[in-house]
Amino acid sequence: MDKRIWAIGGGKGGTGKSFIAANLGLHLASLDREVVLIDADLGAPNLHTLLGMKAAHPDLGDFLTGSLPSLEAAAVETPYKNLRLVRGSENILFIANLAHYRKLRLLRQVRQLPTQNVILDLGTGSSFNTLDFFLSANPGVVVTTPEPTSIENTYLFLKSCIMRVLKLYMDHYKIRDLHQKMLDQIEKNSQSLYGFFKSLMETDRSYGTILYRALRGFRPCLVMNKARDQEDALLGRSVADVVRKYLLIDMKYLGAVPFDEDVHDSLRALRPYYPDHRNSAAAKAIRQMSEELAYSIEFTLRTPPEVRLPDA
Amino acid sequence: MLKRIEDWNYYELLSVERTASQDEIWEGYQAALSTYKDGSLALYGLVSEVERGLILERLQEAFQTLRDPDKRKEYNLALLRHAPYFPPQAPFRKSVGKLEIEEAPPRKTIWARLKRLFVKNP
Repeated sequence: MDKRIWAIGGGKGGTGKSFIAANLGLHLASLDREVVLIDADLGAPNLHTLLGMKAAHPDLGDFLTGSLPSLEAAAVETPYKNLRLVRGSENILFIANLAHYRKLRLLRQVRQLPTQNVILDLGTGSSFNTLDFFLSANPGVVVTTPEPTSIENTYLFLKSCIMRVLKLYMDHYKIRDLHQKMLDQIEKNSQSLYGFFKSLMETDRSYGTILYRALRGFRPCLVMNKARDQEDALLGRSVADVVRKYLLIDMKYLGAVPFDEDVHDSLRALRPYYPDHRNSAAAKAIRQMSEELAYSIEFTLRTPPEVRLPDA
Repeated sequence: MLKRIEDWNYYELLSVERTASQDEIWEGYQAALSTYKDGSLALYGLVSEVERGLILERLQEAFQTLRDPDKRKEYNLALLRHAPYFPPQAPFRKSVGKLEIEEAPPRKTIWARLKRLFVKNP
C-alpha cells in the first residue's frame, strides 16, 4: 500500500493550516479514499470544530496516556464517509509538553495506521515536537499568507527545520561539537548556511557530505493561503525560489488558495467549507493541491537532483 | 550543487534548465524580477538590500546573455568547460518514508563490543 502521510504546518498562527488540513481530508474522502485526520496541534486543537464536530473522547490524549491501546482506536468516525478524525486533546498542559518516548510512539503508530491517507494538522511554532511531526511526513506542507509577518515566520520555521534535521544527524554520528558552531553561524543569517557547509567541507569532507545529503533530503512544499490577487499567488512562487537559493532546500510550490469570505461564514455556522462550496475558487485550488501532493510522492522520494558536492 | 549566491550560473539564477527555450527564459526573467523587485515580500527577513541589488545586476546580465543566441552559445561552452551538465533524471530510488535517523541501528555499547571480543558464543 502506497502510504501518504502529509503534515500541514507553518511558523505563524492563523494562516489556515487547520482549514487546509480539514478540506484536503474532505476532498480525498469524497474521492472514495480512506482518510484519517489527526489533530496534532498539541497546544490549541480545533480541527473537530472545522468539521462541525464537538470536542469529546476518545482523543489523542487518551492514546498518549495509554487509555487506548492504539491510535487506530482514537480515530472516530465523522459525519463524512471515508473520513475519520483523531481529535486533539483537551488536556493541553500534559500534551503540549510531550515526552520524547511518547512522541516516538505516536510517530510509529501514525505509520502503522491501516489507512492509505493520513493528514497531520500541526500547531504553530518551532517546538521539537512540531518539527519532528513535520519532518516525519512525506511531504510536509508549509502554509503561509501574503503578509510580511507570515513570510518572516515561514523562513524562521524552515530554518528551525533545517537545524533540527542537521542536529538529528549530528547526534547520530556523534559530532556534537559541530552543533554549537552551526548554531552560531546559521542563526546569524541565511548566507552563513553556505559558509557553514563550506568550512565543514574544508575540515571534514565526510561529515560535510552526510549533512549536506541530509539537508537535500528534506523537501517541504508550500501553499500560499488567503491570496487576494495574482500577485499574491506569484509571491508563493517567489518564496519557494528564495528558499531554494538561500536555505539550500528543494521546496515545491503547490499553489495559492484564494481568499474567500464564505470560509468565515462556514466557520460561524459550524459547517465544513468544502462540501458546501465545491465550485468555489478555493475548493478548486484545494483539489489541484491534492493532485500536486499525490504527484509529490514521486517528487519527495526521488533522489535530490543536485547531489554533487561542493569542492573543498 | 552548493553554491554561494554570486556563483550561481545564469540558468540557476533564472530557475530554468540549460535547454530552456527563449520563451522560458523570458518567463524565468520576469519571475525573477518580481521576486527581487524593490519592496518584495518574498525577501522579507531573509535577503538584505545590498544582496538584492547585486542579484538584480546579475539578473540583467543573465538575461542579456541568454536572449542573444551567439552570446548564449559562447556562455554554454564556457559553462560546460567548467562543469558538465546532467539533465534531470527520472526517479529511481524508493524510500521507506521514515526519517533515516529513526531507522539507524542503535550504536553498539562498549559492553557489547567487549562481549563480542571475549565471549566465544555470545
